Amino acid sequence: MSENGTDDLLKIAEMACEAAISAGAEFADAFAERGRELSVSVEKNEISSSDARTSASVSVRAFVAGGTGWWSASTVAEGVAREAGRQAAELAKAAEPDPDFSSLVSPAPYPTVDRLFDPAVASLGIREVAGWITRNVDSALAVAPDAVVSGDAGTRWREAALANTLGVRAVQRTTSASVSAQVVIRQNGDVGSFYEWDSARNLPDLSPDEIGTKAAREALRYLKSRSAETATLPVIFGPLASRGLLMGLCGAASAEDVQRKRSFLVGKKGEAVASELVTLIDNALIPGGLSSAAFDGDGYPHRPITLVDRGVLQTYLHSNYTAHKSGEENTGHATRAGISPSNVCPALGPRTAAEIIAEVDDGIYVALGQPSPDTASGQISALVDAGFRIRRGELTHPLKNTMVAGHALEVLKAIDAISSDYREEPGMIMPTVRVARMRVASGG
Amino acid sequence: MDLKEIKQRLSRLRDAAVGRKTDFAEVRYTAVRRSSLMLQDGRADRMGAGDRSGIGLRVLLKGAWGFASTESPEDSDWLAAFDDAIDMARVSATRLDEPVVLAEAPAVVDEVRTPFEVDPTTVSVERKLAAVRGYEEASARRAGSSVANLMTGYNDARQLEIVCNSRGTLVSTESVRTILWHAITTQNGSVRQRGREVRAKQAGFEIVEETPAEDFSAKAAERAVSLLSAPPAPAGTFPAIFHPSIAGLLVHEALGHNIEADHVLSGQSILEGKLGTKVAADCITVVDDAGIPASWGSYRYDSEGVPGQRRVIVENGVLRGFLHSLETAGKMGVEPNGSARADGFPHRPIVRMSNTMILPGHSSLEELIADIDLGILLRAGQWGYVWCEKGQYTCHAGEGVMIRNGRVAEQVRDVSISGMVLETFANALGVSSDFELEMPGNCGKNGQSMPVNGGGPYIKVRDVVVGGQA
Repeated sequence: MSENGTDDLLKIAEMACEAAISAGAEFADAFAERGRELSVSVEKNEISSSDARTSASVSVRAFVAGGTGWWSASTVAEGVAREAGRQAAELAKAAEPDPDFSSLVSPAPYPTVDRLFDPAVASLGIREVAGWITRNVDSALAVAPDAVVSGDAGTRWREAALANTLGVRAVQRTTSASVSAQVVIRQNGDVGSFYEWDSARNLPDLSPDEIGTKAAREALRYLKSRSAETATLPVIFGPLASRGLLMGLCGAASAEDVQRKRSFLVGKKGEAVASELVTLIDNALIPGGLSSAAFDGDGYPHRPITLVDRGVLQTYLHSNYTAHKSGEENTGHATRAGISPSNVCPALGPRTAAEIIAEVDDGIYVALGQPSPDTASGQISALVDAGFRIRRGELTHPLKNTMVAGHALEVLKAIDAISSDYREEPGMIMPTVRVARMRVASGG
Repeated sequence: MDLKEIKQRLSRLRDAAVGRKTDFAEVRYTAVRRSSLMLQDGRADRMGAGDRSGIGLRVLLKGAWGFASTESPEDSDWLAAFDDAIDMARVSATRLDEPVVLAEAPAVVDEVRTPFEVDPTTVSVERKLAAVRGYEEASARRAGSSVANLMTGYNDARQLEIVCNSRGTLVSTESVRTILWHAITTQNGSVRQRGREVRAKQAGFEIVEETPAEDFSAKAAERAVSLLSAPPAPAGTFPAIFHPSIAGLLVHEALGHNIEADHVLSGQSILEGKLGTKVAADCITVVDDAGIPASWGSYRYDSEGVPGQRRVIVENGVLRGFLHSLETAGKMGVEPNGSARADGFPHRPIVRMSNTMILPGHSSLEELIADIDLGILLRAGQWGYVWCEKGQYTCHAGEGVMIRNGRVAEQVRDVSISGMVLETFANALGVSSDFELEMPGNCGKNGQSMPVNGGGPYIKVRDVVVGGQA
């Protein structure tokens, strides 16, 4: 990290903005960052490589009559920043005027978001990082001596500064640490595998030594998989799979996609888009959250919002631009290149995942999968990456070659249970979600 | 910095690494300048450009790898990165049962530039915009009142990669890549559908001359309009015909990732131990060819400075070989075949595909369809992924057409399919004489994105799981 903290980054961002204005831009903002990451990779139970990366960049957005020009460079230096500002302004002049653009974000106080930066993570050495992943290899082998483990462990720190020509000045320092392991177990010509991970901004939130054990135990459960039949069945999405389904809804709530008429949520604000059991809170201010930050990519202060309240879509996710275009309140969801949800937490139900599964006589359990809908059509057609057949309330055999399908609005409205227990990662609550019926196809 | 100066600096750094008693040292420099523009609903929406450059250093110390990268152009930072790489290698050595021994490969000293006709950096923004506008207008005309949203983009990138290693290799490769893309959303009441087309080549601005709107944006529009009235695809197991774009997706995702030797050696591939055995039907021959002129996935040298080449992977259903880096070739005791590619300086080279394809046969599409009573023809390949260790894959098709009584029938909406790799290729019943290599995209692996292409003939496969709603 720099001895000057983020002061020099802010200065670089300011210089880039000034250069853009000097070159004819009416507005400009600039983002400067630098960071370092350490990672250790394991293949077949051995370390395959250890990597150290330092990075820095500056990116400038310049505006002329609303037309946008971008320039980015991979060095944080005064000359580079000035050139980036100048080039962005030239590109903005070549873009066409946009009557929907009014101005950039004005300065405002930022909320305090605690625990985004952990000095212990930033100062961690590569040997400690290597220890995380190698201990997981050992713990996986303790569960299954024939386990083949691949995975990574890593740490990262990052410093960033954002400035615009209206006086916004924002800085942020973050850390993150992660461990992941894929365990493959081959027995009698059969294959069982599973992927586990953990990630956090602060060391106390990371449980780096449990990944291998969990993944190996799960991999053993996925031996002897077989297909199911093609039918319409209840489908239960476990914590990791339910996240894909619910985040797909959040992604389609991007005001940019809605205003451009390429979202299945066009015209759905204030309407039911999911079952009454679904309430989704987007909160970028959760201390230590993986998607937490004090401000968005425009420099607008973050605040918690209720995106879906008992099934009804309350708002779209806005940037400064889309909020002005529609005359709605800015929700602070701009990234530097678009719009994105932050930490999304669903409201929980009264019963446990085990109870919800026990109620299903004949169905499918999806542990891993990507059931995100197509943003435009809303169609879901997804492979069950790892899952089980449910018979008489019990997970019976693991599944192979099985797909689930439906239209997002029908699937979300057919949610008839959300569990009280959940998987938690910093800023993320991931319960088990049951859909009363989906089309299931399987074979082979 | 000019090329000569960069090479001198890289060579000095490489020599410093040799002085530190490394088994092997490699310094790679990459510099890329990109420009992009996007037209959306008739307006030049976003104009962008940028530069990115830096070095990646890889050292092998007592058989263990260490890697470090920096974007800084300063000598002091390069030396610090080198120290980092040495430290990293020492950590890698703490858990290493089998030290890495690289395969032998001749040292190469060369400077190459992939051919292009019109340097994109000499083309004005106005001219680029005019070309893109023409594509958008053609799409809008075809879609008429069904249009909800139009997005059309042009991107170009000029990249220099220099590989300098302790075996005496010093190769610089300059390449130019251009992309045209068009995405249309159509609407009829509450039904929305998308059409998307991409043309991507190692070429200059001449890509525009070679891409008539009728075969590009208008095609996407036509598909997006017709899908509005198409019913959902059925769910179940069907005989299927894959269009060449799906064949390209299938061979890349289902088979291609399993023939990457790093996956094989790490116990992640279902093809481990199957060299020389039957892994597909007789009609299946798979080639990965890095030397196809102007193709998106081609390269003259890989990121280890080994010449790219044509590799026969499956021949008449028999597995003949894998894709190799210096490391995997050394471990398997075979010749390296130039398949180690890195996504710029911040990443180490890993085994990657280039242009992967199934070779054509002799049947016509009509002959393949003729004996199918009820099946599905899948077109417009979009995306896919594979779980290599299980051999389970999925591919998404932009559209389907039902086959009834040996004839193509009604169109159905976009849909995903799934299958088990070895079952799918064993169930291949025939391939057509028609052939296309038009599935350019960027493949993700280990956090790296790499330009690849895929293609093939029409393929007929028994028993494919279709994840439809009907």
